[in-house]
Amino acid sequence: MTKNNEKKAGPLVSVLIPTFNRPKYLSIALASVLRQSYRNLQIIVVNDGGKDICDLIYSFDDPRLIYINRKENQGKPFSLNEALNRADGKYVAYLDDDDLYYPNHIETLVNALESKTGCQVAYSDFYKTYCRISSDGRRQILSKVVQVSRDFDRFFMLLFNHVLHVCLMHRRDLIDKTGTYNEKLNVLIDWDITRRLAFFTDFHHVCEITGEYYHPEGESDRISVQRRKDKNEYLRNVLTIRTTRPSKPWPKMKDLSIIFLTDRLNKQIGNTIKSIWQHTFFPYKLYLPLPESDINRLNSDMSNLITVPINPSTPQSNQIDTVLQRCDSEYIAIVPNGFPIKDMWIENPLYALMNNPDGRRGYEPASSTNELWSAVITKEDLQFARRSFPNLSVSESLKAAGIILKHPEIEELPFQFDNLLGQALSAEKEGDFSKAGQMYEYIAENHQNELWMQRLAAKAFFKAADYTRAAELSHNLNRQWPTVDTLLLQAKIKRENKDFNSAIELLKTAEQILENPVRHLSGSTIFSPAQTLEHQ
Amino acid sequence: MDIIQNNADQQHDSTQHYETLQEMGDCLASVGDYKQAQECYEKAAVLAPDAPEPYVGLGVVALQNNQLDDAEIAFKIACRLDANCAKAYAGLGMAAQQRTDYKQAFEMYLKCLELDTDNLIALLGLFQASCQMGSFEKVTHYLEVYLNMHPGDTSVMFPLAALYMKDGRLEESKKVLQDVLSLDQNHKDAADLLEEVQHILAQESQTEPQTQ
Repeated sequence: MTKNNEKKAGPLVSVLIPTFNRPKYLSIALASVLRQSYRNLQIIVVNDGGKDICDLIYSFDDPRLIYINRKENQGKPFSLNEALNRADGKYVAYLDDDDLYYPNHIETLVNALESKTGCQVAYSDFYKTYCRISSDGRRQILSKVVQVSRDFDRFFMLLFNHVLHVCLMHRRDLIDKTGTYNEKLNVLIDWDITRRLAFFTDFHHVCEITGEYYHPEGESDRISVQRRKDKNEYLRNVLTIRTTRPSKPWPKMKDLSIIFLTDRLNKQIGNTIKSIWQHTFFPYKLYLPLPESDINRLNSDMSNLITVPINPSTPQSNQIDTVLQRCDSEYIAIVPNGFPIKDMWIENPLYALMNNPDGRRGYEPASSTNELWSAVITKEDLQFARRSFPNLSVSESLKAAGIILKHPEIEELPFQFDNLLGQALSAEKEGDFSKAGQMYEYIAENHQNELWMQRLAAKAFFKAADYTRAAELSHNLNRQWPTVDTLLLQAKIKRENKDFNSAIELLKTAEQILENPVRHLSGSTIFSPAQTLEHQ
Repeated sequence: MDIIQNNADQQHDSTQHYETLQEMGDCLASVGDYKQAQECYEKAAVLAPDAPEPYVGLGVVALQNNQLDDAEIAFKIACRLDANCAKAYAGLGMAAQQRTDYKQAFEMYLKCLELDTDNLIALLGLFQASCQMGSFEKVTHYLEVYLNMHPGDTSVMFPLAALYMKDGRLEESKKVLQDVLSLDQNHKDAADLLEEVQHILAQESQTEPQTQ
């Protein structure tokens, strides 16, 4: 295609579809890609050692299709890397062989990426479709819900994934920075890449539903579900991902150096280091200053552990000075041997520090005491303190340099949104739906994820029999972002008010989405359901 | 899918499609589109084979089409799926009433009201069946229970007033009828019955012995 033609057609998008023995669903998935309103596609299907599907692929007779047929089963990461290697597009999108795109999926994300937001990754919302599988393999749709519609949260992404891989599109050249899929992982491979992408770019969240993925009733045949059952193996995968550090520079991620202080090598060191490894999710390097003789005895395969040879008689403050010369991170954490390590132990003070950059300050973890003192400070502040007061202990030099050390206040801690969401969900569990609805509305007004929270609020108010509030919320939502849930909700309220015809219109739209969303979108009317009612 | 799930996910609602169809069936039946309502109920029954509501809906549609056998089958299936399905018993009562089997109708309506004292169809059906059978023993009680929950419902107040009158409780009948007319001045039946009650009361007061 000539450059002029490509400019008209939009940039090339490579859609990667690994598949293994699901020809029936693959056929549906492929059809959904070929039906995209955006035409400039390269569609790469990788058969990962499954049964022959040549006939199926060729039956589509589309020159945009590339078929890689491998006889050996090597796993999903291998297949995705194989497809990436073959991908020529400016952008890359993903589709599992049992999911499906709505016709506007690619166009929506390309528009987002081509707009001047500076984001190199965009993602939309998908329906999670609960279904029952009949004996002939057909799916009987039970429900469609948008379970998560979360605005991009980098800090959360380090803890765990919040972006569905099938919803996501990114620049192809980002993979040169992040590295390819880790073929040693057998679960959470999506999160591994998404997390690495977050080191290099912000993500643009488009609050539109552009596809669906499936969750069969009862036991799932998903490999990921089966593999999560081995808890040790699952944990191994999680920790591998959390300690993965792509090559620098990181335009969007800060780095942390943890300086671990101890007198000599002993058993406690091993336990503390292991705890750090298990409980820390922010990217870090762990610096362990030790005498040469102890370094030689140290037997650790922990990633990101850097031993720093020191003279055994060197005071701890000077050990820190030695390590500081080697750190290339923005933040430093000082941790003594035996310090109690638990979840969020360093992320809480670090987050507080990152979000309070003005003024000279540092934060101490909750467990820090005079006897076991720990702190997180900027490297710049620590260097200043050590240069200015090299003969003092580290904590004294920081104080002398005017760097204020404190424990983080509650409002300075991370995951405020998640804590409030948890409280609202608890209120629902206790049956206090009115309180839950108010909380969801508060979160919508004061934090991100407004649309998601408003949907939850509408449902909660309905359960609380506050039909006025529920009607107002669902009406506003259905004007622009209708979902099956909100359509059904508004219909029920209309019916309560004996407005049967309005209820029927809303229910028909919901039914169209449930039964045939592609046709619903392809033949979409000018008006949204709420607008149709007003028009009538 | 590798994505964090909030706790709400653990209680996912797999009845959404069924609910949509059931709601649509009920709305379509309410506007008289029984053909489409039936289609919705049939689909709902496939999605939720253990739910009685679609069969109640199908029974109602069959009643509207005067297909009494089909209606009874549907309502009986609903009862088998849920022995406490009050609406199904109300439906069986209606089917029996249409067959002029008033004894059976009475039994079914009574069963419905034992499960749901709020069911207006069963309440009025019980009254109608009682009229046919000439036996009003339990009707008054259920009408009173209903009116405690729904004061001002003249469709129930009038039959209650009629029963009071029949039982010789004339003052109570008069009060209820006056309440009906204060709510609905144009309620001709209530006005007529009140006139009759007042006439009887007047006659009774004339025949009572005078005391000095």
